[in-house]
Amino acid sequence: MRSNRNKSGAGRSAVTLFLLPWAVVYGAFFVFPFLFSFALGFLSYNPLNVAGTHWVGAANITRLFHDPDFAQALRNTILFVVGTVPVTTVLALGVALLLRGRIPGKDFFKAGLFLPSILSVVVISLLFKLFYAPGGALNRALGVVGLGGHGWLTDPGTALLAVMAMDVWAAVGYYAVIFYAAFAAIPDELYEAAELEGAGFFATLRHVTLPMLRPTIGFVLVINTIRSFQVFVEVLVMTQGGPLGSTNTLVLHLYETAFRRLDYGYASVIAYTVFVLSGIFSIVVIRRLRPGYATGGGGA
Amino acid sequence: MNRHSRRAIVVVAAVLSVAMALSSPGCGRKDERRTIRFWQFWDIAVIRPMVEQFEAEHRDIRVEVEQLTWKSGLEKIQAALASGTQPDLCELGSTWVPRFSYEGVLEDLTALYEVEADSFLMWDSAIWKGRVYGLPWVQGSRALFYNRDLFRRAGLDADRPPTTWAELLDAASRIDALSPDIYGFGQNLGERYVLYKKFMAFAWGNGGVILDGEGKVRIAEAPTREALEFYLELSKYSLKEKQEVLDHHFKTGKLGMQISGAWNLGNYAIEAPSLDYGVALVPKPAADRGVHASFAGAEMLVVFKGSPVRDDSVELARFLRQYHRAKALSLAAGSVFPASRLALEDTTFTRDPKLRVFVEQALTSYTAPAHPGWIEMEEVINRTVEEVLYGRRAPRWCLESAAEEIEKIASKFEKQPE
Amino acid sequence: MRSVQGAGAKRWLRLAALVVVVVVMAYPLVWMVSLSLRTPEGVGWRFYRDVWQAGPFDRYFVNSVIVVVVVLAGNIVFCAMAGYAFARYRIPGGSFLFLLVISTIMLPKQIVLVPMYILMQKLHLLNTYWALTLPFLADPFNIFLIRQYLHAIPPDCEEAARLEGAGEFTILFRIVMPMMRPALAVVAIHTCLINWNSFLFPFILTHTTSMRTLPVGVALLSQGAHSIDWGHLMAGAVISAMPVVVAFMIFQRHIISGLTTGMSR
Repeated sequence: MRSNRNKSGAGRSAVTLFLLPWAVVYGAFFVFPFLFSFALGFLSYNPLNVAGTHWVGAANITRLFHDPDFAQALRNTILFVVGTVPVTTVLALGVALLLRGRIPGKDFFKAGLFLPSILSVVVISLLFKLFYAPGGALNRALGVVGLGGHGWLTDPGTALLAVMAMDVWAAVGYYAVIFYAAFAAIPDELYEAAELEGAGFFATLRHVTLPMLRPTIGFVLVINTIRSFQVFVEVLVMTQGGPLGSTNTLVLHLYETAFRRLDYGYASVIAYTVFVLSGIFSIVVIRRLRPGYATGGGGA
Repeated sequence: MNRHSRRAIVVVAAVLSVAMALSSPGCGRKDERRTIRFWQFWDIAVIRPMVEQFEAEHRDIRVEVEQLTWKSGLEKIQAALASGTQPDLCELGSTWVPRFSYEGVLEDLTALYEVEADSFLMWDSAIWKGRVYGLPWVQGSRALFYNRDLFRRAGLDADRPPTTWAELLDAASRIDALSPDIYGFGQNLGERYVLYKKFMAFAWGNGGVILDGEGKVRIAEAPTREALEFYLELSKYSLKEKQEVLDHHFKTGKLGMQISGAWNLGNYAIEAPSLDYGVALVPKPAADRGVHASFAGAEMLVVFKGSPVRDDSVELARFLRQYHRAKALSLAAGSVFPASRLALEDTTFTRDPKLRVFVEQALTSYTAPAHPGWIEMEEVINRTVEEVLYGRRAPRWCLESAAEEIEKIASKFEKQPE
Repeated sequence: MRSVQGAGAKRWLRLAALVVVVVVMAYPLVWMVSLSLRTPEGVGWRFYRDVWQAGPFDRYFVNSVIVVVVVLAGNIVFCAMAGYAFARYRIPGGSFLFLLVISTIMLPKQIVLVPMYILMQKLHLLNTYWALTLPFLADPFNIFLIRQYLHAIPPDCEEAARLEGAGEFTILFRIVMPMMRPALAVVAIHTCLINWNSFLFPFILTHTTSMRTLPVGVALLSQGAHSIDWGHLMAGAVISAMPVVVAFMIFQRHIISGLTTGMSR
């Protein structure tokens, strides 16, 4: 099966050639920035005084444990990831399922769903800032049922939730389109067979669709988690981490540490914390959601 | 490799080479002129004609001017410094200049200061350890905006805006009582970088000091504490929200007063042409006490150390800061005024009742303290205001811990970097 | 016949649900367009005219198109190659290599900003199209997407072609690429979107007006020091979004459910 293909010399040289363009791009443009920023973690570095750079050992790392802002940012970021990624994934899957089969005006629906993804996050965040304001559209709508007048982004209890809701809104359509594309890889025969066996919607979902979608679900989970661990522009524009630090995130903390406090060494340690967290998560998901055709669609 | 892969690679290569052919910057003609690289934040369409005139007057100098965005400009300046490719002449906000001065990346411009000291405002943040590293270009302070309609509705005199804290509190409470969706005053909350600018107006007006000349932290002393207590009192009649939201309420006639900058004049003219409002100096503690203080930000021109065209850059800075050019820039931007004292007598500004207030306010406005740790200290003050307005802690305790934190920050900068 | 009626009702329900979803999705965008049309003189195109005339927007536009076309071409070919290799071959150290691929998106880009600038400066690529395109020619997102997509497709067709003596490149470009058209459509949409809207690196890595891209131009125009110029910002955002809408319309046609015809051919 998979193994016999690289026994031949032709196969091996093909693999090398297939990976070469990526390797060149990576080697030329990412190895240096990665090594540089990694080294920063052990240095006191400030771009205004490069000559004064000096070795500080693990000092930047131990600082993590005495920094209440970091602890708060870590907590908020984890809440953000845990609160948005599963919701987005399930909603996106649901919306993609709605689009399956014959539906009049399907292109229109697909385009409509995708619209939020087209805009820059800055613009979306600015719009939602007004949307959540006391006199904004959300409160006017809630006012109809007598619940208006809440400053969603100025209340420390709701600000993070409001940012999360916006993120889900902005991301659902994007991942729905990815799921929708993945349906194309599921052979129709599988559905025909399920129908012949009299399987209902949920049985088909459980025994055909989801197993076949495993690799894509894994992809969406990993990509969205990596992206969510780095949530930044949304909070910078909408709340700047406030009120009372309730929406401070790791990358916002890193951004302020580097570009405002000019403490690049410590910023690098925060950056690599994000890196390690998303790395661990990615490994776990990729391990758990092994190739689909080997287990799910199996027989073929 | 087979036909298809070759074809694909040929396509990519072709597209790439066409793109790169289009990109080759400039032509081969040799330019003997000296080059000044100038980075700044204003609309390039306003700056470029000035720069072209400079080039016409200095045949041997060429100026490469780049516009930075307010949001990401500083990142770019830092990246450029890290790689040693910083521009020659650069615009910097006054809150940033002290750190740059301290790190020793700026040319000493004290000689020019000695000539110009009396003709310009806002030098303070350019001075570090007795030397001067920046040249004030344009400046903007914050003043009190008030809605004249709401003043009349609340039985107040629309031609007599509040001048003291007591009058301010009274006006705010009366307007706030008009209706549940009308607020007396606007206080920034739920954002970070502007909180101190609004609050410190009251503290400075009351004689409050963050750091004194000897570097002693004095933020926990009575003047600042009284101001914070007053600010908390005022919050009872205030809409506590983000700037956009405050502006929106002010534009729609739902907010009695707020402290803000001159950029609103232009915005309101476009977005709320029928709004009847006035501008006044920020109220002072009492008729017989204190000053009409406010926050002011200045835009400085700095020359980076080691520039091969240092003298030419200083010359360009002087050229751009000439009164009529700084004025042209200010009028085009609509948010700032020339840092030159000539603005104080210019009828363009003094004839307009609203603009006049801003010009006058500049005389009693404060820039951020000239300390390299200011950016961090600013965060401490923002957090203090936040905690007080959210009712988490009483002003006294907040200010005492703020003083401790500011001392800690100050001590980090005691040693001069090598 | 009850089931047929039931199916009809279900379809209407599904349609209704989709309408609700699309309304929720589109509402802020309608609002955005309305902000961009509301001028002091009433409804009009003034902000659009202003934006287009404010800077060399035609140049920004051309630059953005060049960048996106180059990066798109690179990603379609290079990511298909790499994704295919990761999905179908047993590569020594393959999982480590694959983690290396996605590691590029796991590190916050803010921390690589300064070293990236230093690197581009050392390579003398600042303010060139090279800086705007080369680092983005093989987006890990796309490699990952293609790898996962291929994991859902059994390798039967490839095996058959291989038995007939087809070379590896022929198999990839002739057999596999057509089979993964839906994934390539997503790759295309994603690549257009990311690069069309990209702000930070294009801003940092270019200096002159002639090298600016559209998002940088819009940001320079509408983001003041203290206030937001809503009308112009929104008009700029709508102008920037239009080409992506068009790209989406073009590529989404390739996302077709149930590719049985493609597979049995």
